[in-house]
Amino acid sequence: MGVREVLARYAAARPRPFVVAAADGTRARLAVEAELRRRGWRAAASPAETGLVVVCGEPGAELAEAVEVVWRDVPGPRARVDLPGGTSPEDVARALDGAVERLADLDAQRSDAQARAAAGFWTPESADEHEGMGHGHAEMGDEHGGMGNGQAGMGHGHGGHDMGGHAHHMGAPAGLAMAERADDRDGLRLDVLHVPLGPVLNAWPAGLRVDLSLQGDVVQAADVTVVERGGGGSFWGGRPVARRLDSVGRLAEVAGWPAAARRAAELRDAVLDGRSPGLDAFARWIGRSWALRWMTRGVGTVTPELAGRYGLPEGDVAARLDGWLAQIDGRAVPRDEPSGAALAVLPELLDGVELGEARLIVASLDPDLSGGADA
Amino acid sequence: MRESPVWAVVALPFALALLVYAAAALDAVLAGGGFRDPLYEGVRLLVQQRRRTLAPDRLLTRIGVVALPLAAVLGAVVVPLGGRAVADLTVGVVWFNAMEVVVWGAVWLAGWGANSAYGLVGGYRFVAQGLAYELPHMFALITAALGAGSLRVDEIAHAQGGLWFAVWMPVAFAVYLLSAVAMAFWGPLGHPAGNDLAGGAAVELTGPDRLVFLAGRYLLLVVAAAMAVPLFLGGDGGPLLPGWLWTLLKTGAVLAVLVWSRQWLPALRMDRFMTAAWTVLIPATLLQMLVVGIVVLD
Repeated sequence: MGVREVLARYAAARPRPFVVAAADGTRARLAVEAELRRRGWRAAASPAETGLVVVCGEPGAELAEAVEVVWRDVPGPRARVDLPGGTSPEDVARALDGAVERLADLDAQRSDAQARAAAGFWTPESADEHEGMGHGHAEMGDEHGGMGNGQAGMGHGHGGHDMGGHAHHMGAPAGLAMAERADDRDGLRLDVLHVPLGPVLNAWPAGLRVDLSLQGDVVQAADVTVVERGGGGSFWGGRPVARRLDSVGRLAEVAGWPAAARRAAELRDAVLDGRSPGLDAFARWIGRSWALRWMTRGVGTVTPELAGRYGLPEGDVAARLDGWLAQIDGRAVPRDEPSGAALAVLPELLDGVELGEARLIVASLDPDLSGGADA
Repeated sequence: MRESPVWAVVALPFALALLVYAAAALDAVLAGGGFRDPLYEGVRLLVQQRRRTLAPDRLLTRIGVVALPLAAVLGAVVVPLGGRAVADLTVGVVWFNAMEVVVWGAVWLAGWGANSAYGLVGGYRFVAQGLAYELPHMFALITAALGAGSLRVDEIAHAQGGLWFAVWMPVAFAVYLLSAVAMAFWGPLGHPAGNDLAGGAAVELTGPDRLVFLAGRYLLLVVAAAMAVPLFLGGDGGPLLPGWLWTLLKTGAVLAVLVWSRQWLPALRMDRFMTAAWTVLIPATLLQMLVVGIVVLD
């Protein structure tokens, strides 16, 4: 083997997979997460970080398009694995092994890179011409970033420029419209960025998209869209404890506590296997974290008024987390919660919060779209 | 400035590289991976193509990415890693502080340059974090300097013959450790590169850019850990073993604690932490400095 081959093998040995779940992909996602843990591979948080995209379940039209946009910009060497629902652990292991082979296949990667170079770099114009992806919107660039691939709101990033496009027209950079401006909460005129969260985003509920209007990192308006539902019964039906562990894991991930997220995933898989080791200790560990409490208290508070209107329990992110922990260690009766109310209350809870808080709020409501519409 | 032996210049990159790898390997093992993971990841990023966003500011991104490890290495020249610092400046503490502030600009530029909302928010988060940790950090540094009556790192280390500064300036030491993870935007103070922003300031960095940026972050962590040794842990002092080995052991221990802090705590957001920093940490460090000042005057 030459030096190139050796390097390619080394580079492919520990990929950082970016895992995308469709609404019906929960089973496949869990199988993938378990296999990644077994192999000691760490998942990527963004498409720029990865070379391996793993799609769990069968995405509907909109999500499939979003995945396609993300995939087109994944840096090479790259491989993509599609796992339609109901995948066995053996299938997942085989698919990941195949991906490692493809990542290390120099000829295939070279021709892939050449094909991409020939296709040229993505621009809003080329997207209009070739893809028909609806980039004709007023806020161009949003669609592309909308897939949560971290390019959100491109062309709006120049927050500090005082051009506004009014007095002296300097021309639109890279063919992008400049951000419009509006008064913020302190009465300052600031740029408004339109940044969609999801449907392809790390630690994000499958099938959900939230379109944010941001000034700085403060949410001025939020629009919630259900991109797709799994249809049929939810994967979590009859598995409330495992579902809560899954939710706690995602919340921990968003809260920047990967150790807790990893432990939650381990316990979730154990519970699904019919074991329940150390649930009490886990709930105590998370519940006693003063830092997590400090960071979640008073965030996303469902006031008595909102609780009455939407039929949700009162309380903030910390209270919702406590509720989950009580269900996990058996202090409270585990129950399946409908997601309709969570979706309905989201826009009001997100209004005026900081972007990091918005992620926590979504994670603390964790709407489950893996089943059909709930009553 | 005192003359330093040539071997100190040669030894520094090796010591830094060893400690950076150790930190990355420890983090990988704690996260369920193997100790060879940093090697695989390094090669993976080296051969990875770059991707670019629409209308990025590539020059500023590159400046930010390169400035990160550069600032860390320049900060390291005043740290006596192998017993002697490469440059034992009379104002070593101030130099270290100045290099660490370069990091603010580096992270902000890297986040801003990609023309991505997440990167931009991540960059601004780090500037806010700087406002929160910098004053307590400076007071902690000055307290150690006050205890020794010198800004020269070597003299501070050797002023602790009897008692380590960590023991009789515990507040300053604790604040220093906190600001060490803050300057490397690591673990509990890693919100600028947080998961909720899909990587924050580093969100759009690919291939070698990402490698240099991440290595720079580990370098910062290493240099901050290494600086804690002369400032608070008695420098190269210790029984039996040679001084350079004591320095390395102490640095490794501090580094392990810093790396592990990521497992221990979730990310602290500045909208909450800022209040604590200004109402608790600043008064606490000022009080610590007052106590040290009175003791020194005695």
